[in-house]
Amino acid sequence: MAPDSPLLSMSGITKSFPGVRALDGVDLDVQAGEVHCLLGQNGAGKSTLIKVLAGAHQPDTGTIHWRGEPVTLRSPIAAMRLGIATIYQELDLVEHLSVAENVHLGHEPTAVGFVVRGKAARASTAALLRRLGHPEIDPAHLVGELSAAQQQIVSMARALSHDVRLIVMDEPSAALDPDEVDNLFRIVGDLTAEGVAVVYISHRLEEIRRIGDRVTVLKDGRAVAGGLPAKSTPTREVVALMTGRNVEYVFPERAGSASTNGGKPLLEVQGLTRQGEFEPLDLSLHPGEIVGLAGLVGSGRSEILETIYGARKPTAGQVLVDGRALKPGSVRAAVRAGLGLAPEERKAQALLMLESVTRNVSVSSMSRFSRGGWIDRGAERGAARAATRELSLRPDNPSVPVRTLSGGNQQKAVLARWLLRGCRVLLLDEPTRGVDVGARAELYAVVRRLADEGLAVLLVSSEVPEVLGLADRVLVLREGRVVHTAPAHELDEHRVLDLVMEGSPAS
Amino acid sequence: MTQHVSPPRDGTGKTAPVAQPPSWRGVLARADVRTLSLLGVLAALILIGGITKPDEFLDTRNLQLVLTQASVIGVVTVGMTFVITSGGIDLSVGAIVALASVWATTVATQEYGFAGILFTAVLVGVGCGLVNGLLIAYGAMVPFIATLAMLASARGLALQITDGRTQIVTISSVLDLGERDAYVLGVPPLVMVFAVVTIIGWLVLNRTTFGRRTVAVGGNAEAARLAGIDVRRQRLYLYLLSGLCCGIAAFLLIILSGSGQNTNGNLYELDAIAAAIIGGTLLTGGRGTITGSVLGVLIFTTITNIFALNNLQSDVQQIAKGAIIVAAVLVQRRTASTT
Amino acid sequence: MPEPTAFTNRFTSRRGLLFGTAAVSAGALLAGCTSNDSSDDEAAANDQTAAEDKPGKQVTIGFAGPQADHGWLNAINDNAKSRAKKYSDVTLEITEGSNDTAAQIGQIETLINKKVDVLVVLPADGKALTQVGLKAMRAGIPVVNLDRIFNTPQAYRCWIGGDNYGMGLNAGHYIGEKLKGKSNARVIELAGLDNLELTKQRTQGFDDALKNYPNVKKVARQAAEFTVESGQAKMAQLLQAQPNFDALWNHDDDQGVGALRAIEQAGRNDFLMVGGAGALSAFQAIKQDNGVLKATVLYPPTMAASAIDLARSLGQTKGVSGLAEYEIPASITLYSAVVDKDNVDQYMSTGFK
Repeated sequence: MAPDSPLLSMSGITKSFPGVRALDGVDLDVQAGEVHCLLGQNGAGKSTLIKVLAGAHQPDTGTIHWRGEPVTLRSPIAAMRLGIATIYQELDLVEHLSVAENVHLGHEPTAVGFVVRGKAARASTAALLRRLGHPEIDPAHLVGELSAAQQQIVSMARALSHDVRLIVMDEPSAALDPDEVDNLFRIVGDLTAEGVAVVYISHRLEEIRRIGDRVTVLKDGRAVAGGLPAKSTPTREVVALMTGRNVEYVFPERAGSASTNGGKPLLEVQGLTRQGEFEPLDLSLHPGEIVGLAGLVGSGRSEILETIYGARKPTAGQVLVDGRALKPGSVRAAVRAGLGLAPEERKAQALLMLESVTRNVSVSSMSRFSRGGWIDRGAERGAARAATRELSLRPDNPSVPVRTLSGGNQQKAVLARWLLRGCRVLLLDEPTRGVDVGARAELYAVVRRLADEGLAVLLVSSEVPEVLGLADRVLVLREGRVVHTAPAHELDEHRVLDLVMEGSPAS
Repeated sequence: MTQHVSPPRDGTGKTAPVAQPPSWRGVLARADVRTLSLLGVLAALILIGGITKPDEFLDTRNLQLVLTQASVIGVVTVGMTFVITSGGIDLSVGAIVALASVWATTVATQEYGFAGILFTAVLVGVGCGLVNGLLIAYGAMVPFIATLAMLASARGLALQITDGRTQIVTISSVLDLGERDAYVLGVPPLVMVFAVVTIIGWLVLNRTTFGRRTVAVGGNAEAARLAGIDVRRQRLYLYLLSGLCCGIAAFLLIILSGSGQNTNGNLYELDAIAAAIIGGTLLTGGRGTITGSVLGVLIFTTITNIFALNNLQSDVQQIAKGAIIVAAVLVQRRTASTT
Repeated sequence: MPEPTAFTNRFTSRRGLLFGTAAVSAGALLAGCTSNDSSDDEAAANDQTAAEDKPGKQVTIGFAGPQADHGWLNAINDNAKSRAKKYSDVTLEITEGSNDTAAQIGQIETLINKKVDVLVVLPADGKALTQVGLKAMRAGIPVVNLDRIFNTPQAYRCWIGGDNYGMGLNAGHYIGEKLKGKSNARVIELAGLDNLELTKQRTQGFDDALKNYPNVKKVARQAAEFTVESGQAKMAQLLQAQPNFDALWNHDDDQGVGALRAIEQAGRNDFLMVGGAGALSAFQAIKQDNGVLKATVLYPPTMAASAIDLARSLGQTKGVSGLAEYEIPASITLYSAVVDKDNVDQYMSTGFK
């Protein structure tokens, strides 16, 4: 290894898939001991690039140098042998195997070549978990029974079980709470201090500021900027590089007229409970109002939304729309009463990924374009187009498969579904997850406009600024219990964070 | 910011424009390519048949024969396509055909004549489908297991009814439908039924809310549920539909073979699944094509026909059939991915 | 004639069992008498006089067979039962038929424990049940092995079964004689399930017989699956492939129902057809003589009745009357007689449904 050559140097990498050029001549240099951040909107080519780096994809053209030597990464194993480990966003753990078995999957410590030495595996796994600051995870535990955050740690332990020189982390903080994120950053710091390089992918600019050394920005399969200083490059500039335009990260103005006192509530939640998930909840929601639920992962936010929606059956309490109680545990009753849910896991819970935007939008309103079960496809297309246009969904062609859309536009497709349905109460669960910075503001504006048009919105988000910026009224949740309720303008980020962590009463 | 921005790439000549997301034309073309490749396989088979046995293969009677032989399994495959599209599987189709065919041909049933046979066959099919559907939709059983259980029970019941004996049909109005005299403008009645079932199946899958719900349930059952679709009821209907198709197929088989036997419908489940998958229906659900399934059935039937006309023996037939399945799927995948 | 072992099937498929036909003439060997009193009994081929009318020592016979999922196997059970009923000195312990090897082993072991005097076993799979046959023999219980042969002669005292090669041979000779004098005669064969050894044996016998007739040529062969459905499908294709031929041999009367249906649908009657096994429907068609089916070669289910006779004789330590031997023979291969219009009445009562 030449003294000044980088640990990893990729140059001119191109990769095409049928119909898509995912990478179009990307360069990336990574030095030993640095945190190199990879930024880009969805579809910019980040995932493809790290798959090339992990040996999962073969580039069409381009060269890869590892410690100054040209290499070909024929397979994930080849990459692993060189010391490149990857922690994917969608965790690739085997749920029915234990922690230790997962960590050592494919390179189990063996005696006489094939007898797995379970004890040795568990001991080395325990050591790795201690190093990662999670000695409480039992190596013999089944991975499927762990929390998402713990699974993340296991995934990381697996990466570190190899003699690793470069770790790729794909949005590692997405499933983590703030203190978990702190722990993650501590681990990253330890690793880089040992000379390990980290390629870190995240949507969150503030994280990149905290731990990143340099930033490479991808857009449309090209590196539009390489090696920017992570700490000092202005946000505006980074956003401009990612989106190709200058975007103000702003929340829409509140209409102010949305009075919560006058008028009858549209949605009332009375004593709604699910044993072990959340305690009796009371809530009322008026037309034109956006109410936010703030809380940590595991505080019962999503569970509350899904129970109101009928996707989970409450153990007590009821949900009323226009004063009429809904049949508990029935999604169909909720939908008929005018509720609509944009769930947290869009791909898993909302979208038909093989289908067109039109069909994704029309799926909840099919009876509107059908007579005797017969679908009037012209009317369907027209209505879907109108709904998607109203939300400025891009591309302006509802016949494209929904999977080709960016995260923000996929979310708009879900909103369009409920718009078309004539929904009156919108339940939004992490509406901007996986949505890149530029598209968020637009989505906020859409939600506010829908509220101004008379919808009632219940918003769940783990990003406190989002809740504070968008909602009129905020309920702060801690461990399944509402610990504070206040108009959004009376709260700030620190106050909310204090409440979700400590749960101290407001006054 | 300019000093950080990498210059536009040059020299490599790799500055191809950024790929557009596939347009709707692309999507349509891709679907068409899949069908076209199946038609290509079928055309190649017809070419082979025409070259090896020009007189016997390229003959109206042979066309009638191939289509007639395709009718029974074809009707079953249409039902199966719906089930697979919804992410399910129905392993009991062959057994249901057997049970329906023997129940409809018992001495007691035959006393009620044509209507008795038709009615019984359809009712038994729907009844079995109902049991499958209830177990899967409301009993939360895995389709594989529920229909496997139905396979065993229906075959057992069919055996119990027949005692292993062949039940000859004596109703001439039923038998006559299988004779040449019953052909309308050269089209055998069985083929007409097959055509009607195919057309209705295509319309239901592509043009109705029922079809949309089927695709939605198969593509993402959780999303379908959260979108307000009654997933369980839809599943129940789908297995009912498959059972109905089996009942119709059993009636066709009774006409064709002039009898009911507990060995009827042997391995229909595999033939129907294979035809649907070759046709382009996703085994994991979420995409289904009636056109493809019917082409898959026709490909299989044509292969069998060509082999028989050339007097190839079972061993060669089986080897070649396996090879053709693999080839058809590979050709399809290749053509589908290069456009 | 080849040793029985050379052509006995060891099929594992339950469908494998279907066929069979052979000769009541075995009755002649055993009973020395084939007189036909009219029978009231369905499918019971027990009209022959019982072997020894004089009651002797009481004998308990254990009978274990496969699941009767086919007409021929049903007839096997019926034959065994009604034959045993004819003897006042025979008690029949019959087990629930099973195609599951393990279950059948269990059933036979139960019979051994009950200390039956003689065992009659039609194994679901001859090879797999050899061990339990050996066990019975070692326990001093003579075993009459019916049709599907065990791996070793040590596992049975006497084997009795049909002759698949002989079926083909006799079918071939019958067709050859019928087509004598016709130049360039064309023959086709609708075989049974090709996975089974017995199908190969039948075809081999058929081909060997046709070698004696230089004017006859086999022009096509397709294998069906012993089911009506497959018989119809394969026959339809054969008829399309062969616009003219003179004779057809179909291995199995059950698939023959489908084959006849296909012939009817194609409107063909320009050839002669010979069946196999000996189903009642085939006998009736032969008797009526208004279609293509002119004859069928037997694989007689009466072998089960004969097996009961053999078991009784073994239990009473007697020989077979009509033979000079003191002992029961070690193996008996039945004759696959050809049944045509001339002798069909004699066999009518043995036809199975």
